[in-house]
Amino acid sequence: MENRRLAAAIGKGILYTLLAILALLQVFPLLWVFDYSLQKSGDLFGPEILRLGFAPQWGNYARAFIDGKIPRYSLNSAIVVSAATIVSTLLSFCLAYAITRMRWKLKFVAAFAVTLGMVIPIHTTLLPNFIWFNVFKLIDTHLGLIIPYIAFTLSFNTLVYSGQIRTIPISMEESAFIDGASWPRILWSVVAPMAAPATITVGVMTFLNNWNEFIMANTYLATDELRTLPFSIIKFQGEYSSDYAVQFACMFLVALPPLALYFIFSKQIMAGATAGAIKG
Amino acid sequence: MKGLFSNRVVVAFLALPAIALVVFAMVVPIGFSAYFSATDWAGFGKFHMVGLDNYKEILTADPVFWRSLLNALILMAITIFIQNPAAFALAAVLSHVGERFSRSMRTIYFIPAVLSLVVVSKLWVSIFNPTYGILNKVLSVAGLKGLATSWLSNPHTALGSVIWIIIWQGFGWALLFYYTGLMTVPKEIEEAARVDGAGWFQTYTRIVIPYLFPVISAVIVIDVISCLKQMEMIFLSTAGGPGQLTQFIAVYLYQKAFVAGQYGYGNALSVLFVITAVGLTILVQRLLRTAPEGR
Repeated sequence: MENRRLAAAIGKGILYTLLAILALLQVFPLLWVFDYSLQKSGDLFGPEILRLGFAPQWGNYARAFIDGKIPRYSLNSAIVVSAATIVSTLLSFCLAYAITRMRWKLKFVAAFAVTLGMVIPIHTTLLPNFIWFNVFKLIDTHLGLIIPYIAFTLSFNTLVYSGQIRTIPISMEESAFIDGASWPRILWSVVAPMAAPATITVGVMTFLNNWNEFIMANTYLATDELRTLPFSIIKFQGEYSSDYAVQFACMFLVALPPLALYFIFSKQIMAGATAGAIKG
Repeated sequence: MKGLFSNRVVVAFLALPAIALVVFAMVVPIGFSAYFSATDWAGFGKFHMVGLDNYKEILTADPVFWRSLLNALILMAITIFIQNPAAFALAAVLSHVGERFSRSMRTIYFIPAVLSLVVVSKLWVSIFNPTYGILNKVLSVAGLKGLATSWLSNPHTALGSVIWIIIWQGFGWALLFYYTGLMTVPKEIEEAARVDGAGWFQTYTRIVIPYLFPVISAVIVIDVISCLKQMEMIFLSTAGGPGQLTQFIAVYLYQKAFVAGQYGYGNALSVLFVITAVGLTILVQRLLRTAPEGR
């Protein structure tokens, strides 16, 4: 009995260790970037895998921060992504309500279009938008980025909201009506609070996805002052092509905000990530 | 009360803004694309209508287009037959260890999934770099110096390296999907199988996996779309090279339009891309829907 318990404990220990090693391997590239970001660029070409016990060059971060224009680009990202997140959340809430609760002729067409929207690749709008958005002088403006950021997150968000709204008992809305509440009031004070978990998921996922978006920002924005955060890495690559340590510092700085958001909202992000699959 | 929920004005207020935005930012652009796909426009200057010539050329005389589709298929196969089973196995193990340990492990495995594609691609470009990259250093420490190469520009290793980056970032997603699915399997059916004398392998192949079929097929549909849509990772690592070997359709259409000055041709690729994405999704969904009934 003693022996069997001991064997089980050892087995468990080995399993836990293996899982932990696997986790370490998964994040090792990030640790490597952090390690190299604190070195002198000239020292990176040695044979060592990880260099420990050196004087950390925090100056690399200062240079990445200033020369990578991180404050400027972060502000741009914050403006574009916040606007897109707020509007997309609001519009998808309304659309989800119209699709799940209201009765109208083209409802099924709209619901089908929402599903279809999940499949359309953003890349298929990159070429035509260059002409189409230019008609409205939207190329090289923040608004020209905000609009597609909203449009391409609506489908997923509407699906998440629809799932949540379906679980709310309709009698809540009906009794509010009997009490004489207006439509805006019902949506805002009855439905929205009940849908709050979906709002967090939708908000965090929209923010994260658009914060990380690169190809539209790279295609539509030409003015340096307007560019968003991922661009600082690209910029560095050109201007500091041999200064790898500073490039690594820049990569780490860009990776930091999504990581922070992830550690704060990991529960919501994980719930949100699977929401699409459950609806299928 | 019934009439309340069919108030047309309210429906219009709720649904129209979202629909208008989608029409503006998705439907009209794709319409524009269809128009320009019938031209020989270079992106500036005059152009002529050429009918379906661009499509004819793509389908009959453009090996790069077919190479792009083949690469997407290779990526799909590796995702579905290697990454997904590995993620499923790990999810199954994590569903049997202590909750706190399991949660912290899942949190770590998912980290690559929240990083921006720019960070991930630049990260791996550095790892694969022949002069300071860590991969060659590890190989030389392990005494395998002969294997060291410049991973992203060697024709023999480029596609594999790019696929590895995509698989690495997607692993956390697959794990999360399967773990969430496994949590929905009622404990009783697993226990009942065990009482009937089924080993863990039988329990999984006979009970758990069939039970999770809807989840597995949903994940496969998502995989197929996302493999086809790959763009930024390739754009930022190999740009389709060496010699178009790692080309994917979204990168290719971008380069055709903005680098090669074949805007009309790029739009024809773009339209084919939409058709392929929608068609493939419907096809895969059909196939998976009929599969369980066939048994």
